[in-house]
Amino acid sequence: MDLDSLRADLENLRRGALERIAAASEPAQIDQLSVDLLGKKGELTLVLRGIGGLPAEQRPKVGAIANEVRQAIEGALAERGGELRTGALGRRLQAESVDVTTPGRPIPRGSRHPIIETMAEIAEVFGQFGFVVYESPEVEDDLTNFQMLNIPPDHPARDLWDTMYVDIPEHLLRTHTSPGQIRVMHAERPPIRALLPGRCFRYEATDASHASEFFQVEGLMVDEGTSLADLRGLLDQFAHAMFGADKRTRFRPGYYPFTEPSVAFDVECLICGGRRCPACSHTGWMTILGAGMVHPVVLQYGGIDPERYQGFAFGMGAERIANLRHGVGDLRLYLENDLRFLEQFP
Amino acid sequence: MKVPLSWLRDYVDIDLTPEQLAERLTLLGMEVQSIDRWGGDWQDVVVGELLSVSPHPRADRLSLTTVTIGDGEPLEIVCGATNIAVGQRVPVALPGAVLPGGRRIGRAEKMGVVSNGMLCSGEELRLTSDADGILILAGDAPLGRSISELYGDVVLDVDVKPNRGDALSLIGLAREVSAATGAPVRWPSIDVHEEGPEVGTLLDVEVVEKELCPRFVGRVVNGLSVGPSPDGIQMRLQAAGVRPVSNVVDASNYAMVELGKPTHTFDAAAVHDHRLIVRRARAGERLETLDHVERDLDADTLVIADPAGDLAIAGVMGGAASEVSDKTRDVIIESAIFDPVSIRRTGQRYALRSEASLRFEKGQETRLARIGADRVAALIGEWADGTIARGRVDTNPSEPEPARLPFRPARVNRLTGTDLSHEEQRSLLDRVGIATEEAVAGEMVPVALDPQAALVEPVPGEALVAILPTWRRDLAIEADIAEEVTRVRGYELVPGVTPHEEMPHFRPTPLDVRDAVRQTLSGAGFTEVVSYALVSPRHVDAFRLRNPVPSLDDEPSPGGEPITVTNPLSSQHSVLRTGLIGSLVEVVASNRRHGRDEIAVFEVGKGYAKEGDRPREWWRLGIALAGSRPASWDRPAFPFDLDDAKGVIELVARRMGLGEASYSPELDEPIFHPGRTARISAPGLLGIVGELHPALTEAWDVRAERVIVAELALRGLSAGRPAPVRSVPPPRYPAVERDLAVIVAEDRPIGDVARVLRASGGDLLRDIRLFDLYRGAPLASGEKSVAFRLAFQAEDRTFTETEIDEVVKSVADALGREVGGRLRT
Repeated sequence: MDLDSLRADLENLRRGALERIAAASEPAQIDQLSVDLLGKKGELTLVLRGIGGLPAEQRPKVGAIANEVRQAIEGALAERGGELRTGALGRRLQAESVDVTTPGRPIPRGSRHPIIETMAEIAEVFGQFGFVVYESPEVEDDLTNFQMLNIPPDHPARDLWDTMYVDIPEHLLRTHTSPGQIRVMHAERPPIRALLPGRCFRYEATDASHASEFFQVEGLMVDEGTSLADLRGLLDQFAHAMFGADKRTRFRPGYYPFTEPSVAFDVECLICGGRRCPACSHTGWMTILGAGMVHPVVLQYGGIDPERYQGFAFGMGAERIANLRHGVGDLRLYLENDLRFLEQFP
Repeated sequence: MKVPLSWLRDYVDIDLTPEQLAERLTLLGMEVQSIDRWGGDWQDVVVGELLSVSPHPRADRLSLTTVTIGDGEPLEIVCGATNIAVGQRVPVALPGAVLPGGRRIGRAEKMGVVSNGMLCSGEELRLTSDADGILILAGDAPLGRSISELYGDVVLDVDVKPNRGDALSLIGLAREVSAATGAPVRWPSIDVHEEGPEVGTLLDVEVVEKELCPRFVGRVVNGLSVGPSPDGIQMRLQAAGVRPVSNVVDASNYAMVELGKPTHTFDAAAVHDHRLIVRRARAGERLETLDHVERDLDADTLVIADPAGDLAIAGVMGGAASEVSDKTRDVIIESAIFDPVSIRRTGQRYALRSEASLRFEKGQETRLARIGADRVAALIGEWADGTIARGRVDTNPSEPEPARLPFRPARVNRLTGTDLSHEEQRSLLDRVGIATEEAVAGEMVPVALDPQAALVEPVPGEALVAILPTWRRDLAIEADIAEEVTRVRGYELVPGVTPHEEMPHFRPTPLDVRDAVRQTLSGAGFTEVVSYALVSPRHVDAFRLRNPVPSLDDEPSPGGEPITVTNPLSSQHSVLRTGLIGSLVEVVASNRRHGRDEIAVFEVGKGYAKEGDRPREWWRLGIALAGSRPASWDRPAFPFDLDDAKGVIELVARRMGLGEASYSPELDEPIFHPGRTARISAPGLLGIVGELHPALTEAWDVRAERVIVAELALRGLSAGRPAPVRSVPPPRYPAVERDLAVIVAEDRPIGDVARVLRASGGDLLRDIRLFDLYRGAPLASGEKSVAFRLAFQAEDRTFTETEIDEVVKSVADALGREVGGRLRT
């Protein structure tokens, strides 16, 4: 082995290696070439074994040439390898692309019933003023549903509540949530702030605006100084919370045997904004609830001294509030359970 | 109550538009529900004058007329009436007119002659009830003017509340107008020209039941002729919604609308011995009432009788035999006060509620008995040309003085949140006719009266006394005065404040668990439904569980008998449901009929029953599934099955912090598929879940192959809060998983295997999960392989293989011992 032939071998190796690197078409081939050419048992190592047969003064020259060859090969491997890897990623990305305009995979939505949700929202508004939810029975006795609310038997006001009676003596299906007032007063001492949501029943043929089963929310507040002004202040805030802070409200006389003075509470027509339209019977107003100062007799039946204490009560139909908020025109929709209706709600 | 404004103006001046008046009345508590234009539908009906009347050449019963309506050519109109003559002014419906009831008038040919419109009867215009002849108008009715302008009116429909019987009258509403505007009320002048004999010679009245009839005033009018009332009167009654009948009956009705006082007129010829007796009916008596229904009377019914028998049901309806007819010459007027409760009960018993009984029910001031008798006698005398007998028969002429109601203006202010002086309150009350004065020492303020009086002695100078007008029977306690003061001043002036009284103590809402369940299930894709509590008897029978899901907490248990409505609207809604499953099946059925496939619904609702005479109510969660989770464009649909229902129940249990659910087969509930139903139990949860029995699916027309339903009792559903979560830090050492396949007999429930795994896995076993079920070679027939993945976890170290091997060995031993299982290797 002499210097010239070794030099020639290295040149051949370089030329051949650069050709093979240039011909590689996959990143894996580059990896393989790197091993074949430069690895521990690679071709360059093989060639350099001949270096041992050279005189000592010639060895550095060969070493310099060998380094140069190694660097050339390494450079070519890196350059070609980089080219190939970039191309492969590109092809993969391209191969993996999808039509992003297809719809998402559906997750079943589910929904909560608008009446139950409306009652929950009402409870939330009054909850901010310290009102707490109570519940009372739906199968109620005549005493609590009527007599303790200052509606004795044969009172003409009984006509206001068409009643369904049941096969239990002196019992009926509560016609309103108001008997809950009596039950709360029996359970609590003033100060009382109670909210009573629940199902009620009337002997009333069902149509778009009448229902034999419906939901009411009753409110009761009793203390020494609770007045009509407190009632008005709260109802205004309630109306603004439910229908918008820009809505005008109206406080006018009403009639209930269990309140004195009695109140009807109106909000400006949500359809015409008070300009009078068929939806508000051309009055510009929509009545949303009845209320008043708890009648002294009712306080007495509740075991509360009507001279020391006084308070207000109100009652509203959850359907009425839901109708106005959600633009529902037919009460029957709430209990028909047509999923095409219910699924519109969150 | 229908209030024609032109009639109301007889009693009070009104300087407001109908809309303004309606608003003022509404704000006073007399809610105006609608403002109707009476006669608004007669736009093309005008006043015409008959220029000629001649027989129709081809029809005996028709006349040819020419009519002028002022300008233009005279119109040729064919007419069938016989009461017309040249020179009369009559209503002419021009071609294009639409009459009440939607009848269209056009140019029409009648037996060869073209008629250019129609001459109208009072009945055709609903102005009077006379259908036989053309309505003859006043001779000075201006030609060409529309009838609507001349006779039309604005009618307010006022919702008079049950406590204000006094305002069920034009006088009463005139008082309210007066309170609003300050205009004085004008009473009608009642001139009774008494020319006949002393009434005592013509009428004798005996009241046997003085409690039920505190006052009876009778008058007699003789020698009258019954016929139609004056047209103007008929028009007023029509506008007020009262059908004109005859001058005598109309007089009675006119006084009722005007004064709110119902009266009754008897044909005197039908009254034996000129004698009226007010008594209870006797058992077995019968009476044919004015509506020609023969009614059985009983001792609870107050009647007006004569010595020969019953004549009328007092205050409710007259009898046919003594009805005023064309032939009547003499009438007896009854103007009485009856016990409101008795009248109300009688009306209900016979299902007879009349305008009269509605007014009696609300109570009447006694002086109206006298005024009513005088008014009706005067009107009959005038309209029917009768001779009024001198004097009245009056069983109780004393008329009570106005009552006194002491009140404290300061309490009025405390109730209403205002700060009105004594003087302000007095002047407000004065506007509704309530005079006031300083209270006399010792006068007690009625805070409450019936049934338990609460009388308070005021400090000197604190109280005033309201002198109550006799017609205001609704005012009795101090709070009533607060309402009067407030409504006259205007509820609008009540200030609004945010309550600043002491807050009540904290109390948890009973809705927390229900709300959490609803959020969980709706989040899991279920839709909440709310169904009728009242269902059909068939429904209750069909869906009652043999073993109802027991109650948790201290809720009443669901035993007992269903509660039935004794006066249901329909049998479809006549029994309170005892559970939720039937309601949910009906929801599935109705939605499937709409063509809906996927149905996943739930309801949080009550079941009801009675134990003896005690009603019970309890809360349950119901779930129903039918159809499939729908396919997406690249995935198939998944039909719902039992495990979907179980999965969502387990989700609820986990979200509510309840324990692990376990299942046991339920073979014995007739509404369920016996092979696909389980009882569930977990700490705080009990229930049943399964497929509806195919026989019920068919019977209830549920167009779904399978319906999976569940009913659950949950801790806290009636009134509770989810317990706060006790958290643990995440484990610091990795869990080790080990798969175990267990070969057991085919009929061995997997739940048994799971139970043994849990029980024998030791403290370190954190979780087990079924991941495979295999049947077939190399297993023997009658065997199955159940594969679970077991997760082991320790707080303080990583396991060694040896440790786990030991656990697996003891698990394997337990499986062999308890369920005859062996590990598959």
